[in-house]
Amino acid sequence: MEQKVATPIEKKTLIGSRVKKPDAADKATGKTRYINDMVLPQMLIGKVLFAGRPHAKIVSIDVSAAERLPGVHAVLTGKDAAGLKFGFVRDNVPLKEKVLCEHDEIAAVAADTEEIALKALELIKVEYEDLPAVFSPEAGREASAPQLRENFPDNKSLRFEFKHGDLATAEAASDFIADNIFRPHHVTHCCMGTSCAIADFDNNGKLTIWTQTQYPYNYKMDLAPALGIAPGDIRVIQPPVGGAFGSKLDVYPYEPIAALLARKTGRPVKVIYSREEEFKASPTRQAAIIHMRTGCTRDGTLTFRSADVLLDNGAYTSWGPTIPVIMMRTTSGHYRVPVVDFQAQAIYTNNPYAGSFRGYGNVQTTFATAQQMDILADQVDIDPLAFHLKNAQKSGEVTPQKSFLRECVLAECLETAARASDYSRKRAAYAAERGKPGRYKKGIGLASSIHNAGGAKIHKSDGIGTILKVDDYARVTVITGASEIGQGIDAVINLIVAEELGVPLEHITIINNDSDIAPWDVGVHASRTTFIAGNGTRRAARKAKAQILKAAEKMLGEPAAALELRGGSVVRDQCGTPLIKLDRLLRQMHFQAEPELVMVTDYYEPNSQPEGADHVSDHSAAYSHAVHIAEITVDTLTGEIKVDKITSAQDVGRVINRMGLEAQTEGGIAIGLGYALSENMQLEGGMLKNPCFRDYKLITAPEMPELEMHFIESHCAEGPYGAKGVSELPTIVIAPAIANALFNATGVRIFNPPLSPEKVARAIHETRQGGN
Amino acid sequence: MQDIKTYLSPRGIDEAVRAMAAGDVTVFCGGTDLSPQVESGARQYTATLMNIRRVEGMSGIAEAGNLVRIGALTTVTEIRRDPLVARVASILAEAAEHFASDQIRNAASLGGNICNASPAGDMINPLLVLDAEVELARWQDGAVATRRVAMADFFLAPRQTAKRDGELLTAVFFARPATNFVACFRKSGPRPALEISTVSVGIGGRLDNGVFRDVRVAMGSVAPTPLRARHVEAALEGKRLDADGILAAVAAAKTDAKPIDDVRASAWYREHLVQVFTEEVLNHVLGN
Repeated sequence: MEQKVATPIEKKTLIGSRVKKPDAADKATGKTRYINDMVLPQMLIGKVLFAGRPHAKIVSIDVSAAERLPGVHAVLTGKDAAGLKFGFVRDNVPLKEKVLCEHDEIAAVAADTEEIALKALELIKVEYEDLPAVFSPEAGREASAPQLRENFPDNKSLRFEFKHGDLATAEAASDFIADNIFRPHHVTHCCMGTSCAIADFDNNGKLTIWTQTQYPYNYKMDLAPALGIAPGDIRVIQPPVGGAFGSKLDVYPYEPIAALLARKTGRPVKVIYSREEEFKASPTRQAAIIHMRTGCTRDGTLTFRSADVLLDNGAYTSWGPTIPVIMMRTTSGHYRVPVVDFQAQAIYTNNPYAGSFRGYGNVQTTFATAQQMDILADQVDIDPLAFHLKNAQKSGEVTPQKSFLRECVLAECLETAARASDYSRKRAAYAAERGKPGRYKKGIGLASSIHNAGGAKIHKSDGIGTILKVDDYARVTVITGASEIGQGIDAVINLIVAEELGVPLEHITIINNDSDIAPWDVGVHASRTTFIAGNGTRRAARKAKAQILKAAEKMLGEPAAALELRGGSVVRDQCGTPLIKLDRLLRQMHFQAEPELVMVTDYYEPNSQPEGADHVSDHSAAYSHAVHIAEITVDTLTGEIKVDKITSAQDVGRVINRMGLEAQTEGGIAIGLGYALSENMQLEGGMLKNPCFRDYKLITAPEMPELEMHFIESHCAEGPYGAKGVSELPTIVIAPAIANALFNATGVRIFNPPLSPEKVARAIHETRQGGN
Repeated sequence: MQDIKTYLSPRGIDEAVRAMAAGDVTVFCGGTDLSPQVESGARQYTATLMNIRRVEGMSGIAEAGNLVRIGALTTVTEIRRDPLVARVASILAEAAEHFASDQIRNAASLGGNICNASPAGDMINPLLVLDAEVELARWQDGAVATRRVAMADFFLAPRQTAKRDGELLTAVFFARPATNFVACFRKSGPRPALEISTVSVGIGGRLDNGVFRDVRVAMGSVAPTPLRARHVEAALEGKRLDADGILAAVAAAKTDAKPIDDVRASAWYREHLVQVFTEEVLNHVLGN
């Protein structure tokens, strides 16, 4: 069987190379068909009537005129959804019988066209009786506050606590204490593709829903009670998604509304939000009030950290008020903190409610912890870099919550970023310039954080199923639970399969958008997909490889251990001499006397422990750190902050796809910059005043600073090829780095982001007035 | 929601104003303001939608004697790149430079920006500094009739102008500035691109041996309409442009600006910025 002329095929690894996203060309040329583009035969358009007021009783609702409008096929109101409770604490229904926030869904219409549906909405007559409302968690706590939810006395929603060590003793032993109140604000995801779902029931009562969800399997469990059907009767299909960033990690009312309209009409129904509806009705990042205190001794050793957190729950409970799960990990694990006292209480208000958002709780907490590190370093009067290094954990340390930092390169991240940006020298020089005249001031700020980087076992399982087949033409199909929501997992899976099976990237197909086909996965969240799906893919590919090499051993008479798959052939591992083309081998396997196909399955469960009620567990299979150093120029008169450069150093475990890693880091930084500088949902009496991109300021291309990214490879033993999850940290560390730079430049600190020009100008102005 | 019954795309000014005389016409050009306003429900299309993009004689930038004429259809991009504008009225090019984004500059017309009559209209400010006039055409007694209105008198109230029903803004005229004319424009918002002015300040005048003459000062987003800042003008007119002169102008700026709190900025910040920009622009003028 050995070939006569055999040029050896060199061993070349793809790990760390630059691989294009397989969907990039289609997306760039407009060929990708997003859910927004989809039209099904007989499809109706659903539109939702929103309350447009924060808190009210519905005195009467008259839909008769809407129902009579030609082209209208169904009109639903709260009574059609009575009892269909869903959500984290079952406090939401698809259509409401009482108004608890501006975007409450009061009625829904399915019609032949959007125009008819909109006209029908205008014909619905609702009489409201406005009620006294609650617009902040502080107000909601007051004894005099109206109780918003029957089953939640004192407007109390979720509560979390973690205590470790004796706080009073630690406080007494502290020479310095930073004590501040931080007020992270409401922002929203601003996905380019607005929220959209298409629902269709068959005559057996099985629902197919096309939606943008990033967690298709648990999604079935969460959607089922909103419809009163069994989770098993739901098939989830995920067309290409125009962004998610955590916003599609729960069921939101438009999805069951589409399904209820579909059930009523017997036809497919599509609900798609306009941009204004998207701003008003999609989830936000959780707003919070964080009273944080951090202590240290005169020599700069941290003694304790306490956080008393009040969360603006909004009207309903989605993932937002669960962020303390991560907030407490940062409070207890961001640097070596021997004593920790954390408590968080979510309070129902009549504001919009929060979901999960890239950085999940850690954006808010790091805004506090990383600024207090800066504040304390100044109190101790040492260079923050030295202060950070002194308290930085090392490999093998365990945090008070039992996060096991197996491979920890925090010190290396700090040193790398500081060296690359000349941090210590610049910080001292800029601080010396601070009081002197001059309109423009330069500043430099350092911030770091810790995040789970090997999944987060907040469910009973954090695993993933993978099915892999190799056909007669050596084309590989990977059927995986890992959803692609733009983050680039398809490219990573392709790269890993090509690495293991020696096939070209173009010969790999991924099926990961149909819950009836692909096996289970928790979903895209917690920076977990490359780690978890990467492991799952590698394990499945290695099983396939073992089967193929075993067959090759039989056919070629050479030991499988000495063979390897490379360049589309079976080769001798040692010298690379090709022995047989892979497709030929596969056909021979298939058509031999005892035929076999290469089809393998794998279930991977990461080595981590469930979060647990006491929050003491090693809940992730890996943890990672990132350090950002921001260099800025402040116009002290207009208050404008220009970010000149960001130097980042992040523990990525191991670079898998360098192009994807760079892009994801850049994207994370862009989101973080918007959060830090300009994005802000302006709420007045529970009503959003800026539901448009004209007045809700995202970061645009000209504002992106120079980025210098350092990827530190800590070679995580559990990670695929040593990789760790990377997605969220770049978003987490930006805002406090800029806040610290602002202080370095001007002596002003702002505790309520965004650090908008007006806030900065006012703070500087007031400081100067006060100084006079 | 009103349905559009008729769509017109006239080729001549006569054809356009004749159609407008019949009433119920929504004039459409770049659509960069109109489309989002209709989309948000702030405005509605009327029965006739008239796209004036192809009307002849309403585009381009040319000199006519001592006057510079800019056709109403001229896009912001064209103004930004025009060599004549750069030579004689660079403040206009400067404002065009900071106008929205490339996509919007390519579509937005000068006439549209003026007729939209937003206090934040970026092209209005430099035209006030140039003491420009707008030309308004209408159909009267079987022929096209025109009149001119000074920009300073054009803006009556928010979104309200001196343009009457049936009138079409066809062009903008301004006298070619003297060779010793200097002018500068500054606007601000929370980000450098795609920004609607929080505040804008434009100042121009002849610098005659250090003495500032024929001073014109315009402010945007600090009152219900774009305005000429008469107190600042008075503080500067005929004075030496020195540190004391600038200080007096900055003090006067506070008198002229009547800002409000809104979603983009507080009154305090606008008043603060107007003073900062007045000082900055004057220092810039001085530096030139």
